[in-house]
Amino acid sequence: MAVRSEPLARPAPVFGRPLSLRGVVEREGVFSWLMLAPGVLFLLAFVAYPFFYGIFLSLQDRPVARAGVFVGLANFVTLAHDAVFWQVTRNMFIYASVTTVLKLGGGLAMALVMNQHFRGKNLARASLLLPFIVPTALSTIAWMWILDPTFSVINWLLLHGGVITTGFSWLGNATLAMVSIIIVNTWRGMPFYGITLLAGLQTISPDLYEAAAIDGATTRQRFRYVTLPIIKPVLVIVTMFSVIFTFSDFQLIYALTHGGPANATQVYATYAFDLGMTGGQLGMGAAVALSMLPALALLIVVLTLYLRRE
Amino acid sequence: MSTRREFLTTALAGGAATALGPRRASAAPKSMTVARESSFIKPFDDFFAQKLAAEYEKLTGIKIVYEAVSVGGMLTRLTTIAETKSGPEMVGTGVNWPWLFDPSLVDVTDLATEIGKKVGPWHDNVLDAVVVNKKWKALPWGNIGQLEVYRTDWFKEVGVTKFPDNWEDLLAAGRLLKKKGHPFGFELGHGFGDNHGWLYPLLWSYGGREVDKDGKTVLLDSDETAKAVDFCRRFYKETMFEDVLGWTDVNNNKAFFGEQISCTNNASSILVVGKRDFPDIAKVTDHALNPQGPKGRFHIMQAASHAIMTHAADQAAAKAFLRWLYDDKQLSRWLDAGEAYYAPFLDGYENHPMWKPEPRYLPYKESLKTTHLHGWPGPPSHAMSESVAKYVLVDMFAKACRGDSTKDVIATATGQLKQIYKVK
Repeated sequence: MAVRSEPLARPAPVFGRPLSLRGVVEREGVFSWLMLAPGVLFLLAFVAYPFFYGIFLSLQDRPVARAGVFVGLANFVTLAHDAVFWQVTRNMFIYASVTTVLKLGGGLAMALVMNQHFRGKNLARASLLLPFIVPTALSTIAWMWILDPTFSVINWLLLHGGVITTGFSWLGNATLAMVSIIIVNTWRGMPFYGITLLAGLQTISPDLYEAAAIDGATTRQRFRYVTLPIIKPVLVIVTMFSVIFTFSDFQLIYALTHGGPANATQVYATYAFDLGMTGGQLGMGAAVALSMLPALALLIVVLTLYLRRE
Repeated sequence: MSTRREFLTTALAGGAATALGPRRASAAPKSMTVARESSFIKPFDDFFAQKLAAEYEKLTGIKIVYEAVSVGGMLTRLTTIAETKSGPEMVGTGVNWPWLFDPSLVDVTDLATEIGKKVGPWHDNVLDAVVVNKKWKALPWGNIGQLEVYRTDWFKEVGVTKFPDNWEDLLAAGRLLKKKGHPFGFELGHGFGDNHGWLYPLLWSYGGREVDKDGKTVLLDSDETAKAVDFCRRFYKETMFEDVLGWTDVNNNKAFFGEQISCTNNASSILVVGKRDFPDIAKVTDHALNPQGPKGRFHIMQAASHAIMTHAADQAAAKAFLRWLYDDKQLSRWLDAGEAYYAPFLDGYENHPMWKPEPRYLPYKESLKTTHLHGWPGPPSHAMSESVAKYVLVDMFAKACRGDSTKDVIATATGQLKQIYKVK
């Protein structure tokens, strides 16, 4: 026997229903916006406003404590003719690309090791997070001593180990200074990769590895055909975040070399600070800071499209 | 064109004024804040914060709050104060900051004139730092000199009993000392004081200049500059080591007390710290004027000064406080507490008791006559600040020291200066 179901209850039309605050709040459209509002307001106040104010400043000749004059793209044109700016751009790309590759490789290795079962695993995991937890300014001071020509523990070990006869000038030599800030950035940023990728690894079902093993897959093949495809989205996102953080890196370089020697380690953030704060050219400083935007925007678009395609 | 910030500020201020009604003109402020870079000489800060502030409060009922800003951070703090038009009523300034922040600073010509009459006159050269368009925008209390600091025992070991009077003689001494394992350590990196402290004077002493008085003619590309650069390269190679190229302001102090270097350029604070923490090294430490070059002897000017912000609700009260602070009864005691770290630009203090306890500080007083701001003889403009911020001169010398040709480094620096000073 066919059972005739009752027609679904329809909400009463708005007109004719008593209007209560609760009723309004509980409407899906209103409620969802209420939930979103704090986040949106936060983003507007602390991300959108500074960002658009930065763009506004970059289009002005704006000496500190004085009203600005709109100059269009003149600040960017000036930068295009500034040899230091191009050196800064070169430094930035070397610094960001090398540290990203090192952090990615090291972080992945770290995650794979941490995903194994061994005694003291939890202690090891906690210890590996330390570089990421310690405030950058504080850890950089420790690195200042480690890289100090007189008191460098690295030089001491190399000298007493008979590897070298004179200590390296870690922060005085242009090449070594870049190598040094890359090492410190990698040391600090690798745990971010490690712990995020570890989270990705732990979502992989052991059944998949068992099935692959039964099919005769080697360890390398299991990594290539099981692990990597599954953690790829995490890998892409963590890389994207890391590149953004690296591009805006300031404290480490400011404390360690302040962009020296002779601008060998000067990057966008430190150069923008020098021009804006020390030089009192707020418009020019904003223009330098915004110069990292096209590269970052392109990276974000490419990676996001890649993720969608996947 | 007014800024968005100004628009918001005006609108908010208008609203607040309407809501709260007019402020009573006669109401004295309960407290006022002075923001200043914390001094390397702790007793100097303590004397201000604990003794002078308390005395003023007892006298007037106005509490003086001292906001100590970390060393090297005052310019950033001042920028925030000026841009937001809020916060401390009085601030510490240095270098050419009164020029940078001119619209945000109160004219204190009347106070400067009074002080000049009582304990002056003021030294002429300090006017470059604090007088903007014929108006005093800050009141200097002293110069933080950058002089030569050296180990007397090691210099004696190589037969040098008196600090060399010119750069060539210092180079000769340095050569001997480096051979003995006591190299020199002069900062050539991106610090904020100890690099400029000797590199500008070196350039000037060879007759080189960044820019002319008009602020439009770039003079750097000259034989005099080339001679200074060539000397600097020899001085670096024969007396120093590679690390100095990457040094910031802390490194030479560490190296000096680590007994790694025999001579550097620094403020007198190094001896103050030495007496406190490294008494054995302090005993064999002395100061001297910068050596002279073919065209004279020079020093960098760092005129530590006080200014009043235009946003101060009661500018008259702020002026009254500075008038009291710069009265000999207060200023004299305060300078005493500073252990001669601040050399006053006032003739009346030529024989001040502050110079008596430690004769090794006397060169700092003597150096006052030959001090100039970084871009001298150019105007202390925004362009001057930009040149300093970009380390144009420091990097010119540093690149030469690492091996670039004199011609190339001067050409690069000249190109930068032409861009900064907007020379077509």
